[in-house]
Amino acid sequence: MDNALFVGLSRQITLRRELDITANNLANVDTTGFKVESLMEKVDPAAPARTLDAPNPVKFVLGDGVARDYGQGALRRTNAPLDLAIEGQGFFAITTAEGERYTRDGRFRLDDAGKLVTQSGQAVHGDGGGDIVIDPQKGQVLIAQDGTISQGIERVGKIGVVRFDNLSVLEKSGDNLLKNTANAQPTPAPDVAVRQGMLESSNVKSVVEVTKLIEVSRAYESITRMMESEAELSRRSIERMGRVQ
Amino acid sequence: MQALRTAATGMAAQQLNVEVISNNIANMNTVGFKRQRAEFQDLLYQTLVTPGAQSSDQGTVVPTGVQIGAGVKAGSTYRITTQGSMTRTDNNLDLAIDGRGFFQVTMPSGETAYTRAGNLALNDQGQLATEDGYLVEPAITIPAGVTAISISKSGQVQVSQAGQTAPQIVGQLELATFVNEAGLEAIGGNLLKESGSSGAATTGVPGTTGIGTLLQGYTEASNVDPVSEITALIVAQRAYEMNSKVISTADQMLSVTSQLKS
Repeated sequence: MDNALFVGLSRQITLRRELDITANNLANVDTTGFKVESLMEKVDPAAPARTLDAPNPVKFVLGDGVARDYGQGALRRTNAPLDLAIEGQGFFAITTAEGERYTRDGRFRLDDAGKLVTQSGQAVHGDGGGDIVIDPQKGQVLIAQDGTISQGIERVGKIGVVRFDNLSVLEKSGDNLLKNTANAQPTPAPDVAVRQGMLESSNVKSVVEVTKLIEVSRAYESITRMMESEAELSRRSIERMGRVQ
Repeated sequence: MQALRTAATGMAAQQLNVEVISNNIANMNTVGFKRQRAEFQDLLYQTLVTPGAQSSDQGTVVPTGVQIGAGVKAGSTYRITTQGSMTRTDNNLDLAIDGRGFFQVTMPSGETAYTRAGNLALNDQGQLATEDGYLVEPAITIPAGVTAISISKSGQVQVSQAGQTAPQIVGQLELATFVNEAGLEAIGGNLLKESGSSGAATTGVPGTTGIGTLLQGYTEASNVDPVSEITALIVAQRAYEMNSKVISTADQMLSVTSQLKS
């Protein structure tokens, strides 16, 4: 008879998780290259296609997975020569101490040896592996749409942009980096454009997220009210049964 | 409730953002100032279900997993070292650097600091110094009684004296360059200090490969663009507000829960 309370509890848990995810989206509304996430929910056990005469099992709601929207974020101009944005589906490959990571955050800079690195000092992969070294003495750095880096008339390297056939193998590992969790090997991305002096904004749509906040809090209130009336119902029935005796 | 802490990281990050933006706007008219930008990164993720984990012994895998992020953190403040515009002052000791490079300044402690602010002056001994009186390296002394000082694009300092026809060379200015200019550490007073990430200073004569040229009678304005700063301020304010909405929503949900048992 406590089923209604447990069904309510399963909904409360998913709503809290949804709020956590929305909170993370809104905290990263201004984080370069951030990709918005949302919770996918499912009914468990799944509803049958047709109602049978037999009683249906009680259904609970479960958080099924996190959907990550890899859609393009808006590009904004910064004019910093080592700010890069990817237009299209692809990632920059980064060498970290824990192995190769991928990012859409193109806020690069040079380290003390002239190596192109991320803001945490991790080296950016060149096309076909290897680091990219730029000597600022040689003049202005120009990065073409295909990632070719040149200074004056000299070609100094090319930034590698890779893609995955299946984006769900990627897992966020913090610091704007994504980790490849499977053995899927990235391939060079063919149809992307690297934009110099631009950055890709986070693709969080604040209106959608704030609407979700309202939705979550209202749903939480109503499910709590349902649980309240269920508790009230059992309290009353116990009272009444006590009176009958 | 994770959401409360997550939103708090968002508010703290936007607060830092506003601090950086306000410093940029405050230094809009500071000679040689380079604007800064607060950079954010997402924080750690708590993985509840690993994507790619086996969901049965038939080899099926979880397609997306459940990962919940813990918010945002400030990665660094990055100095954008683009050229500022040239302001004409007609003061013959005002120097602007067109291109890369920094003036070298000897601090009272004996250390060398670097600056793009070329509004120089003479001290009581006729030595070339910054507006704070710190000597410019290499030291240049202007003799008393000169009628004109001219500084060439390549940093040669010449003076004309009364009664002499040919100008006299009194010194040669040098500029320092760094592999990673953005890695210099700001120490206030328009001065920057060498750091572990900037690389060592390379000095040279202005106008040689990779080093900018000097412009006498001009100063370099700050590269702060008021329009983009104000836009960034609006974005920061709205982001702050939205994060506070998350906190009030989480609070409301908690209060609903606590009223459940009445």
